Amino acid sequence: MKTDHNKQRTLIWQAVALTMTLVSSAHAESSGAPPTPEELRASVAALQQEATLLEEENRGLRAMLAQLDDGELYVVVETENNRLTLRQDAAVLHTAVCGTGSRRFIEAETGTNWFFETPMGAFTVLGKERNPVWIRPNWSYVEENMPIPAPNDPDRFVRGVLGKYALLLGNGYKIHGTTWTKLLGTHFTHGCVSLGDDDLETVYKAVKIGTKVYLY
Amino acid sequence: MLLWFTLSLFLTGAEGAGRAEDEHDALVKQQRSLQARVAALKQEQDYLQFQKRMYETDSKYLVINSKKKTAQLRYKNRLLKEIRFKAAPGLKLRPGQAAMTRKVEGKKERHALVFGNAFVIKWKLSEVPLQESSLPSIIMMKKDLLSFYYTAEPGMMVYVSP
Repeated sequence: MKTDHNKQRTLIWQAVALTMTLVSSAHAESSGAPPTPEELRASVAALQQEATLLEEENRGLRAMLAQLDDGELYVVVETENNRLTLRQDAAVLHTAVCGTGSRRFIEAETGTNWFFETPMGAFTVLGKERNPVWIRPNWSYVEENMPIPAPNDPDRFVRGVLGKYALLLGNGYKIHGTTWTKLLGTHFTHGCVSLGDDDLETVYKAVKIGTKVYLY
Repeated sequence: MLLWFTLSLFLTGAEGAGRAEDEHDALVKQQRSLQARVAALKQEQDYLQFQKRMYETDSKYLVINSKKKTAQLRYKNRLLKEIRFKAAPGLKLRPGQAAMTRKVEGKKERHALVFGNAFVIKWKLSEVPLQESSLPSIIMMKKDLLSFYYTAEPGMMVYVSP
């Protein structure tokens, strides 16, 4: 009877010892792991605060950028591939095959020279013309080995070669029509951007004075 | 009786530990999700800041979307050209900004554009120098590459969005 009692006592103490071991090992494990619940809660709160602040800053930046997006239509001329595109925001409204500067160099007997290149950069439509008149520049006579006439010589004023419309970009550069339609898609002009009749009409009607033109 | 008491004490302790474990797991999960959110917001802010700088400068720049495989040539807030490109399988571009460091002029227009140690833009027959041949490549059609090549200058910025 006494032996049974002793056995029972031993068993109880063994159970208590096991419990104590388990509890202490669990505690040791938790104190060895990097974050305590308090640390985790603090980290979550800090991250929430950081996310809120970033969201607010990003909202401000997006609003600032959106103010600069005017939604205006603009023209892009890609000289390498001779393509003109009418764009509004990211949308392409119209694409046309165009002609750009021939990148040819000519020199007059006087030593004056010209390089026929389409200028690059950001331009603005400064004017719109219907039935534009081409005022033949000096290089046109040099190119054809003709004597250069006086500035106001009637021979300089040529009608019908620039198509029905022209958009003025400044410094004599224009977007206009051409009689050399078979050359569209190549570098053949003296620096202006040439378009076929239908494309020219579409572009002319779409843009207004002040429209931006990007040539690259 | 004493055995029963000890066992119940043990079980109660285990239940408490389980609850604490659940709370711990939930907090870790929340922490991870917030860390990911903060990282995404920081990346978005980086791109917005880049855009803001580019809107203020007078230079063209590129935006590459490696997921959609598109490259945009932009000037200020204007999109000048957008093209789709091919990429070697498993192409991994590090998101963020880089600058063009070199224009490689190859024979017969086999040109390429080098963006530091980040990547190379080329067309399929481009001649990429040996020291850059191991860099990730963005492969475009010849006409698109040439369009970018002739308009790009060393120093031109590019942003790779994730």
